Amino acid sequence: MLLRASGQPDQKDYDLNSVTDDHADSGVDFGHWLRSLTEATIQNRWDDLAPIRDQADVAMGTQSMVDTLVVASGFNGITRVADATGIPLDENTQQMTIDMRESTGIERFNYAEKSDRYDLITT
Amino acid sequence: MQVAQSEQNVEAWLPIAVSNWTHKPEPGKIDAMYELTHYPLREGLIEAHEKVWESIARPGPFWTGAERIAMVAESRAATSCLLCAKRRQALSPYAVDGVHDSETDLDAVIIDMIHRIRSDPARLTRNMFDQVMSAGITPEQYIEVVGVVNASVIVDTLHAALGLPLAELPTPQPGAPTGQPPANVTEEGAWVPIAVGNERPGIINGLSNNREPNIARSMGLVPSAVELFFTAFRPHYALQNIPLELKQSQAEFIASRVSALNQCFY
Repeated sequence: MLLRASGQPDQKDYDLNSVTDDHADSGVDFGHWLRSLTEATIQNRWDDLAPIRDQADVAMGTQSMVDTLVVASGFNGITRVADATGIPLDENTQQMTIDMRESTGIERFNYAEKSDRYDLITT
Repeated sequence: MQVAQSEQNVEAWLPIAVSNWTHKPEPGKIDAMYELTHYPLREGLIEAHEKVWESIARPGPFWTGAERIAMVAESRAATSCLLCAKRRQALSPYAVDGVHDSETDLDAVIIDMIHRIRSDPARLTRNMFDQVMSAGITPEQYIEVVGVVNASVIVDTLHAALGLPLAELPTPQPGAPTGQPPANVTEEGAWVPIAVGNERPGIINGLSNNREPNIARSMGLVPSAVELFFTAFRPHYALQNIPLELKQSQAEFIASRVSALNQCFY
């Protein structure tokens, strides 16, 4: 995934487990605020988000705080497009991320496994 | 959705319009969005969201303007729907029967589809899609709903995240669905046929060699749905040299975290 690739210019190695592990430190700048803003937004915790916005504003700057919300809201839409169409991984992504998908637990999100888990009631 | 590692020329994908910071809505357009916020938003983003709202209000290829506006209303209703809340708590969404808290006269199968996309995207399965198809909805109609609903999810999420009231729904434009020529699509393992790829340079991207990422091809059955959705999405992200006040690594972390929270495999 691009989180790993994006560390290359800065010669940084980001912890990909931070994507699925609530407590892992990603190593990304202002990772705590990125996580807090993103999670409150995606989980519709609007009352929680208001003070987080204020604190993140001070910590990382207004524009960076706002742009965090901009990216999160965009992906709140595009993930639903992927999930509603059942598209397969792009071929090169499929090949490049086998180990990463297993180690981070993302593999359990694949559509066949979801069907096995969530459609059981109707089978 | 994992952020797909794309091919060469990825900077051509999802360009972000960055211009000045002062937004002045044009006369005759819908009410200006985001005018109540004191946070800095780029004009390109505001204009894109206003354009999306205007587009949703017009008849699409398979649904009227009134039906498309109703889809947005249903998406909003899903966030406070009691049935949706009960289903999210259940081991399987199919374990709980009932009637959605609905605000429109859309067909029940469409209401259920929209509520599930909005309230429980992590547990969308092929079974849900098959149920919609078995009710007589065509794949093209399905994709148009997906495009409208998820474009509106982006607009509504940003409003709420900024602490703003949701944008007022636009007035539907009259007229019958417009229809469309057959789309150039192919079967590649998705629930629906997807765009052959690289068919619309300038609309999605300009990648060559049939290497558009599948997410950009996913709604290829309805090209206007692709255009609608990516009009909303483009100002929110870029694969390289992201013109936001964020490093690329920060944007990828946010994107990846959203994907994990929504349990998006792609």
